[in-house]
Amino acid sequence: MSTTAHAAQSGTNEPWFKYGVAFLSLEMAIAIAVSAYSLYMTFHGLGGFPGKH
Amino acid sequence: MKTHKVEQLIIATVGFFWCFLMWFSTAAFSPSIAAHYHLSIKALGLLASSAIWMAPVGRIVAGWASDRFGAPRTFAFILAACGLVSIASAYTTNYDLLFAERVIVAIAGVSFVVGIQHVAQWFDAHEIGTAEGLYAGTGNVGAGMGALLLPRIFGIDYHAAFLWLGAIALVIAGWYLARGSAAKTVERRELARGRSNVRGTVFVWSRYIAIALMLAYAMSFGLEIAMNAWLPGYFTRGFHDAILALGFSSVAGVQIAAGTFAAVESFCASLFRPFAGFMSDLFQRKGWTPLPFIAKSLPYAPRLHWLGIALILITLAMAALTVAGLTGSLHLSVIVLVAFGIFLSFGTGGTFALVPLLFPDRPGIAAGFIGGVSTAAGIVYPLVFASGANIHMGYLYVALYMFVPFVLFYFWAARYERHPEEHGLFNDRLAAEKA
Repeated sequence: MSTTAHAAQSGTNEPWFKYGVAFLSLEMAIAIAVSAYSLYMTFHGLGGFPGKH
Repeated sequence: MKTHKVEQLIIATVGFFWCFLMWFSTAAFSPSIAAHYHLSIKALGLLASSAIWMAPVGRIVAGWASDRFGAPRTFAFILAACGLVSIASAYTTNYDLLFAERVIVAIAGVSFVVGIQHVAQWFDAHEIGTAEGLYAGTGNVGAGMGALLLPRIFGIDYHAAFLWLGAIALVIAGWYLARGSAAKTVERRELARGRSNVRGTVFVWSRYIAIALMLAYAMSFGLEIAMNAWLPGYFTRGFHDAILALGFSSVAGVQIAAGTFAAVESFCASLFRPFAGFMSDLFQRKGWTPLPFIAKSLPYAPRLHWLGIALILITLAMAALTVAGLTGSLHLSVIVLVAFGIFLSFGTGGTFALVPLLFPDRPGIAAGFIGGVSTAAGIVYPLVFASGANIHMGYLYVALYMFVPFVLFYFWAARYERHPEEHGLFNDRLAAEKA
């Protein structure tokens, strides 16, 4: 893997960026939680994706 | 007007979220509409498929319009027009008229490229992946939220749902017009406006790298919408006995289980998209260029490599879906499907982390071409999936005969170390016109 001069050209992150990363992390956590819950329900014959019970 | 790029990102995201909510609101109420008008299965299928009819051409026009007139005006027009027709459809009692009105409301789906252009006009190169990912990923959730919440809030009263969706769209349109600003600088705005002509359109459409990105988006978003339509039927037919063994005895129960597997894939593909944009930014920041052949010295080369990795993962996941299906293991297939959904998000997020950087002076036209034409792939894949004798083999056929050539073309188009956007068809003619 080569590391080039791109990092130097990449600029520094502004204050909004950390909130953006926090928000996208929350979205991923929601995706994992809802998927895990839905699949648990389905594989135990209890229902399915929320709203489709 | 004093504003901040985060405000512009929020306006675009809310507008897009609401447009996607309107786009798929017809599907959310299709059982109620079918019962009210006594629709046949064929008519119901036509109603469901109508949502995507306007996307390919509509996105191309919307992309051009956002460069020409600015994203706030274009987005507000789409919201207002679709909102008014949605309100009208709430009072319609004739099915043919309702069908026509809902096709018009589905135009809301073209707003995606307008917001992409808007965000590109405000955010700088080093953060564009995260910004576009947050916009597109969060907005995409509108489609899932529609299916999840609308029937719960409104029950079978689709008239009230269409009325409220339209009324709130008008409010958001007013907000977009009042607070939206087309670009960070006047120079950036004028550059995009000045290039929004026929020559600019031909230029973008004929670039090898633009075609490669269009195919990349067809491999990711085009495949995502195809799988939304295909997967419930696939699991119902391909794993019928395995689903019955889980304890679902009725036809409705099997549909719930099969629909859940499809929904989980779609949910992951939407909600991991901002992460994919973040990863593109991370590759850029770290300067990672691990793949062979693809350019390494371009200012945005690491993003090309991230997208290349995403396309390889999507292709491998398609092959894995076939292998998992052939083993007959439902659990294995679902695990592969979840990974597949995440890889799709890498493709969608990775593509639009690149588009504004490759065509900074024509962001709308480029987004319209790449985000528009690629949606037609959503019609092609299910036809291939359904054509084989074995229902599990279709994924492998698509991977071998479509995706492998697409990936090879991407590697070929992304190999130029200087100005890949200068390589394409009609170079001589375009140069002569410029002179």
